[in-house]
Amino acid sequence: MASNHSNNTSPHAQVSHIACPDCDLILSVPPLAVNEVAYCIRCDATLLRNQKNSIDRTLAFAITGLILFVISNLFPLLSLKAMGLTQESSLLSTALALFEADRPLLSLIILLTTFIFPAITLLGTIYILIQVKTNRINRYTALLFRFLRRTDAWGMLEIFMLAILVALVKLGDVADVIYGVSLYAFCLLILSLSLLSYSLNPQDVWNSLRNKQGCSL
Amino acid sequence: MTTALQAGLISCHFCHTLSKLPESIDGEIINKNTEIYCPCCHSSLYSRIPNSLNRTWALLLAALILYIPANTLPVMTVIFWGEGQPDTILSGVMHLFAEGMWPLALLIFLASIFIPILKLLTLTGLLISIHFRAHWRPKDRTIMYRITEFIGRWSMVDIFVIALLVALVQFGNTASVSPNLGALSFAAVVILTMFAAQTFDPRLIWDAIEEDSAKETEK
Repeated sequence: MASNHSNNTSPHAQVSHIACPDCDLILSVPPLAVNEVAYCIRCDATLLRNQKNSIDRTLAFAITGLILFVISNLFPLLSLKAMGLTQESSLLSTALALFEADRPLLSLIILLTTFIFPAITLLGTIYILIQVKTNRINRYTALLFRFLRRTDAWGMLEIFMLAILVALVKLGDVADVIYGVSLYAFCLLILSLSLLSYSLNPQDVWNSLRNKQGCSL
Repeated sequence: MTTALQAGLISCHFCHTLSKLPESIDGEIINKNTEIYCPCCHSSLYSRIPNSLNRTWALLLAALILYIPANTLPVMTVIFWGEGQPDTILSGVMHLFAEGMWPLALLIFLASIFIPILKLLTLTGLLISIHFRAHWRPKDRTIMYRITEFIGRWSMVDIFVIALLVALVQFGNTASVSPNLGALSFAAVVILTMFAAQTFDPRLIWDAIEEDSAKETEK
């Protein structure tokens, strides 16, 4: 029933039933070949994807991302040089500057979206995927993974990257902007974070939970 | 074409496991308020997000109210040689245009003016269409919802730019940037509309059509 992009389906695996998350229609999805995506026939929502080595690839991107995240926090992202003075800014000091400017709520929003949620996403994804790989799933795995799925939209580093570009252009004529290792690491971090969310197939994690608990329907 | 609701099944919000609604748990008969959990991921199960319309309306109205100070109050003040120049979102875009940085002006216009308005209008329109049980283009309305949900967070870019300017431009009396209340109101609008989009249940768009067609076949 669902549309397929190629027709290399293996005939042995079973047809799975899924209710469309956006329109509640029950659909039977034939087994998907690698890189096949199933869409809802009524509202075009993405139902299921089959990605090659989803768990391994995502784990690789998450570990790369964590290393890059640490590097981008070690050194200042941008420095501004004007009138013999240099001002530096990093992820944490941006939030701190707002706190010092008497805007504690705004500072909290920045801290959560550019530091805490991305850090939780990276660490949590690594922890869960290692558990899935070593088959050591416990009752808190599902809880943590649900939390990660729910807070997925709140890590906003790619938007912060765009803001850095805007600030660079805005300040470019007025003062000397210096950028170093951290900014390069930060660019690569954005790349690995987007590859992480692209390669992660949540269904693979849920399936391994389901197999462990024997609760498939 | 059967929906999970019609078949007496509940699809888990997170892991999409289909569960059959039991008639009783430990001898207690299931009613509307009984909490049931997904056998696979233990999240609480519901066929539609509970109180979806009320919650979305509440968040949306709060966002609409805060949208006024977000646009009338200045978002930041650039102080240059002791003279402060407060800027609202719109005047900031105008300044960029006047300085000839039109790609930047366009970007900030899209992220800070166009997207929030689009989002507020789309969500209001969707809620009203559900209240009137509209049958109008359910697929397009679902796609509109998906776009709103996806694009909303990019409005935060202006807040991040302000935060970066505040952190970077601190040269005592010569030049400094300070954030104003408008920035907080705007951030609140973005966050409230993000929550509103999350609590909105697109399946309600389709429910009206199904319930009405079920009534017609009964006749």
